[in-house]
Amino acid sequence: MNKWLLLFLIILFWSAAGLAIFGFQQDQNYSATPLPNQVDRIISMAPNLTEILFALGLGDKIVGVTLDSDYPPEATKKPKAGTFWQPNIEAAIAAKPDLVITLGFTQQRNLAERLKRIGYKSLTLNIEKVSELFEAIRIIGTYTGKQSEANKLVGDISEKLDKLSALVGTKAKIRVLWVVQREPLRVAGRDTFINELIELAGGENAIGPTLHQYPPIGAEQVIACNPDVIIEPAMNPKNLAGQQSSALEYWLRFKNIPAVTNKRIYVIDGDTVSRLGPRLYEGTETIARCLRPELFAN
Amino acid sequence: MQTKAMKELLTPRKLIIKIVSAAIVLVLVMLVCSLIGTESISMKEVFRGASKQAVVNPDYEIFVKVRVPRIILAAIVGAALASSGLVFQALLRNPLADPYILGISSGAGLGAVIAVISGINWTLWGRSPIALFAFAGALGTVWLVWFISRLTGKFHVTGLLLAGVVVNAFFSAVIMFLTSVAKSREIHATIFWLMGNMIEEDFFVLWMGAGCILAGILILFNISPQLNVISFSAEDAKSIGVNTARIHTIAFAVAAFMTAVAVSLSGLIGFVGLVVPHAVRLVFGPDHRQLFPLSSIIGAIFLVAADTLARVIIAPAQLPVGVVTAMVGGPFFLVLLVKFSKKVGWLG
Amino acid sequence: MSGIIEIENLSFGYTPKSTILKNISFEVKPGTFLVIAGPNGAGKSTLLNLMCGMLRPSSGIIRIDSKAIESYKTEALAKKVAVVRQELTPVFGFSVFETVLMARTPYFNKFGFEGQADKRIVNEALQATDTAQFALRPLRNLSGGERQRVFIARALAQDTPVLLLDEPTSFLDLKHQVKIHDLLKAAQLEKGKTIVAITHDINLAAQYCDETLLLSKQSSSIQTERNYYIGSTKDVFSPEQIERAFGIRTFVGKVGQEKFYLPLGKFAKDISQISGKPNSNQPK
Repeated sequence: MNKWLLLFLIILFWSAAGLAIFGFQQDQNYSATPLPNQVDRIISMAPNLTEILFALGLGDKIVGVTLDSDYPPEATKKPKAGTFWQPNIEAAIAAKPDLVITLGFTQQRNLAERLKRIGYKSLTLNIEKVSELFEAIRIIGTYTGKQSEANKLVGDISEKLDKLSALVGTKAKIRVLWVVQREPLRVAGRDTFINELIELAGGENAIGPTLHQYPPIGAEQVIACNPDVIIEPAMNPKNLAGQQSSALEYWLRFKNIPAVTNKRIYVIDGDTVSRLGPRLYEGTETIARCLRPELFAN
Repeated sequence: MQTKAMKELLTPRKLIIKIVSAAIVLVLVMLVCSLIGTESISMKEVFRGASKQAVVNPDYEIFVKVRVPRIILAAIVGAALASSGLVFQALLRNPLADPYILGISSGAGLGAVIAVISGINWTLWGRSPIALFAFAGALGTVWLVWFISRLTGKFHVTGLLLAGVVVNAFFSAVIMFLTSVAKSREIHATIFWLMGNMIEEDFFVLWMGAGCILAGILILFNISPQLNVISFSAEDAKSIGVNTARIHTIAFAVAAFMTAVAVSLSGLIGFVGLVVPHAVRLVFGPDHRQLFPLSSIIGAIFLVAADTLARVIIAPAQLPVGVVTAMVGGPFFLVLLVKFSKKVGWLG
Repeated sequence: MSGIIEIENLSFGYTPKSTILKNISFEVKPGTFLVIAGPNGAGKSTLLNLMCGMLRPSSGIIRIDSKAIESYKTEALAKKVAVVRQELTPVFGFSVFETVLMARTPYFNKFGFEGQADKRIVNEALQATDTAQFALRPLRNLSGGERQRVFIARALAQDTPVLLLDEPTSFLDLKHQVKIHDLLKAAQLEKGKTIVAITHDINLAAQYCDETLLLSKQSSSIQTERNYYIGSTKDVFSPEQIERAFGIRTFVGKVGQEKFYLPLGKFAKDISQISGKPNSNQPK
């Protein structure tokens, strides 16, 4: 018994010593909002955040981006702070940021937390819906003293989207199958922002409500959902025409669905529709052109 | 009369010399690795200390708040995994055992997945719910495996291994099931977390973690002579005066606890717990009085080095440290195996 | 006096239905060399395992130095009784010296290290079993017979008043068979050890041991029949007893003071000249 008592006492002493030396680290209260005129050095951890910052005129203040922030072209020249999935905290600190903006999923949220603990100001934004995009733009505007630019940007995009809605009208919705991956076959479900874009462009997701956002589906479901149009965001931004013809060949295996019989298979540029950012309208218009080319003949 | 054999034996003095030398190497490695990273920092700036003005001193911040805690964490986890791997190799009399052999990995994984699915957000002492649930999952699984194997009567190595295999398979299946039906996209984050990650922890957490591991190693050192006998033969152990049931329980509990702590701190990092004890045994022999201190220190060195490599090799991205331990550990171990098997004429 | 083994009404069965040992009682006085002999399956190893505390009796008591075996703590029992079983190949590369040193584990200091006395005892044990030249070699690299000698050395290093051995010389060559028996006899005579050994070699047993316990298989039909005989070797190993226990006719001859035992199998040469009787197993 004596040995265990001794062990217990040692544990107690060790814990007390640790508390005395290091203290309990309270979550530092660095989540306090920085004053707008103090934000001169910003790090953006996602390509759509980078686009938003540039669109608000904050391009000069960006001191760090992720590897895949490629739009606008000036963004590629900025110092890199890691990748979208693997942020590099050392690079982030070395850039001496006043504000670090991240998206809301775990890896990036963790980075924001870690930086907060060390004493940096960070901002975490969830951008998974169009409404969340608008709100994010406004929040960034508030943090950086660009409220009017933010409101203008949001207003611009909304106006263009409204005009597009009016153009496509409330006619019969076109059934769209949005294919993100061919093998195994994965499509965008109804709970995604892509679905929102499709609907804004006058379409309807051929797939019904599913458990997952990007469910894997089988051949049966492809036939059953009877899509009018199939859209694939391109892997490669080059040679879209070539990718389009090989896609047509690929989908021939589903002989009887309207999208194949009417040869309505489209491969479009991925960036404007995979990122929820300021080029939202461009992406939506591209989709609308696929769905109703006749409306854009002029 | 001093025979040649007696001269070659391990003595307390020789052991202390070996431990101190290894510890010195560890400190040197940690110092060197703290100077390596994707950002080059100058020690002069670091010594200037934390900046009091608006403009921070990034060199100091990076060094003290990112690199040093991370290196200390790698040392702690490396020591923990190496020691507990050694315990399982001794208890199961199997040089290919590792700390996860009895279902700890799937138990931790299940804990992590449950934490994410339940959407719990609060933190305890700054530890995220994933870490805590992984800890509980790991310990709970070990207890389950222990319990199941007791049903087969007494401490049978085969019973333990079988129970571990069954529990591992079952929990892995549950994890896959939950992952495929869960709506939460955070699930994918758990896979990432489980792959092994080293992030800076606050110093109190590191202090407590170090305390746990040190205590564990001391206890294991204390029962090393008995573990020598048990690793030799279970049947004989009792006749020699070793209370096998008691030693099994203590060693098992300590190893399980250390592994659970390691997993909760940094996810599942493979290879360290298998390769380091095995390699140390190849070089230094099977005496556990030597193996425990040396494996822990060398495990720490190995993981600190592996983590440093993981941090810089594909900059600006970070490689999961488990990838480095496997890719570096594997070939290194093969070389060691060939070189020392020839010299000693034994295998392990 | 230390090294007394008392067995009282011992019964044992591995399952509730089968009984291997039934109501066995005997005493082994200190400093006796007892041999346990008998056919396969009679329960010799079982009895040995009961005597060292590895198995629990179904009924009856075993006492070592007047204390019930169950009441001994593991370490204390190890200082009284040492066991030599069949040799094995260890998974890890312990050297011969390290292996024999394991016997001294109960005597290590509180830091887990051996003392000078322990090392000296190990050395003596190695010398006695003719294994000192292997001291630094890994046990795995030795032959079966050499390993067996190391295991015997380990039991000697345990320095106990009682030494139990389960067929200690079955893998050894003639020289070492004799040497080991010499060694055991010396341990008995010089150190007063109580030695209990299971052996299949009747001739060697007769030459070295004082008493013999002859175990026969438990016959289920005759419940009350005793299936063991214990007494001085020359009494127990009578031709009738041997035939009854092993089912083989044996010719017991005498040369001077030494008795020898010649089993008479089907192909044994005709010895009617000496024995005065025909070998009854020979074809007519």
